[in-house]
Amino acid sequence: MKFQLQHPVFLRNVSFNYGNGLLLRDVNLLVDYGEAVAIMGRSGAGKTTLLKIISGLLKPTGGYVEVFGCPMSFGCVKHIRRRIAYIPQNLALIESETALYNVLLARAPNKPLRFITSLWSRSDVEEALGVLKAVGLGDKAKTKVEKLSGGEKQRVAIARAIFQRADVLLADEPVSSLDFDTAEAIVDMLISLKSKGITIIAVMHDRELAFKYFDKIYVLENGVLK
Amino acid sequence: MRILLSTFITLLIFSYLLDVANPLLWTKLGTNAALFLSELRIEWGVMNDALFAVYETLVISLFGVSGGVLLAYLLAPLASPLIMPPAAAAAFRTLANFVRSVPAVVWAIFFVILAGPGPRAGALALVIYTSIYLIKFFYETLEAVDRELYNSLKVMGLSGLPLAFALYTHAKRHIVTQILFMLEYNVRTATILGLVGAGGVGYYIAHYLSLLNYSAVMTFVIATLALVITIDLVSYAVRRII
Repeated sequence: MKFQLQHPVFLRNVSFNYGNGLLLRDVNLLVDYGEAVAIMGRSGAGKTTLLKIISGLLKPTGGYVEVFGCPMSFGCVKHIRRRIAYIPQNLALIESETALYNVLLARAPNKPLRFITSLWSRSDVEEALGVLKAVGLGDKAKTKVEKLSGGEKQRVAIARAIFQRADVLLADEPVSSLDFDTAEAIVDMLISLKSKGITIIAVMHDRELAFKYFDKIYVLENGVLK
Repeated sequence: MRILLSTFITLLIFSYLLDVANPLLWTKLGTNAALFLSELRIEWGVMNDALFAVYETLVISLFGVSGGVLLAYLLAPLASPLIMPPAAAAAFRTLANFVRSVPAVVWAIFFVILAGPGPRAGALALVIYTSIYLIKFFYETLEAVDRELYNSLKVMGLSGLPLAFALYTHAKRHIVTQILFMLEYNVRTATILGLVGAGGVGYYIAHYLSLLNYSAVMTFVIATLALVITIDLVSYAVRRII
């Protein structure tokens, strides 16, 4: 199923109710290809929920969501999933495995048999190693993720998103637990993905980094995106 | 205090029903225990048989675990609502729960009837018994995996068996611990299965018990204990490594 790709992400009057109140109210969002968008707001404002709605993990209680030109209510979730990379706060890496394994994991949906048997083609492995090298982890490819630092783990998560060839990268507080210099290096790396045509939507807490690096900044307040 | 009192009253009632409080029983127990203890010694003449029986028990257990792990690895995702539609997962769980209620010794009798007496029947019985237990352990492990990892993999487009394998990899330390537990458990179970003709140490113990040859029984029991302790030590060492 192919759709005309006007905008990678389009939300109109989206609302979300958690049961004890309205978390998101009439949220409108239009993101262009290659754009970097920061979403800010207090803890519990609904920023993660918004990312989960865009990724198809949560269904909004009201409104319209369109990703890559395909309405989510139209059963598009399966079609859009391989094109979105989602990096949650805890990074969701398989810590007991190597950085290389975690990057190769991104190709598992396309090559399930190779993933299950761990018999990756030489070209896949070389490409994954190249991506790890590009994010500065060329010498850590065979290191288990649990032995990497916080910043290095972030780089593995970004490398996985690049290797996935995702068009949209959703990152939930990607630098919240890092010192300023490391955080800036990671944000710089995230933003550099724009040159590959990747759209970045990130939940950010650091105003300085957000204003310095992102094209657009939205603030979620009382369920409304401003 | 109430729990202790109610347990004591229950014990009294069942002692009466089972006639356990009968003084004649205790006299008989004492006499037979003295006779049994006087017979207790290792009978070196059956040691070769004992070592072979222990080896056979070990092979049955390892086969049971290997086959059981393979089946459970592939089937456990069917019972997980993270992988399957919730209704299908619930139906498979119900079926697995039903099969799990069948004791290992019943599976052994079943396979003795189908395959004839001997270690093959015990090995096949243990494959079924192990797999059905590991299915429960594995699907519980899948569900305990960090939800954000699951979400991230799902968004990436992973589903079905590849998704289950990625989650297994994440939980591999837990999975290995469960497999080692089943290996220890199987060695003990395989000992019992011999009593119904499914091979291993139990077969010989039942044979020598029927002949009232307690010293031979003791030899087999000691050989079994040595195997169980060895397996426990190896499991402990493997757990420390992973």
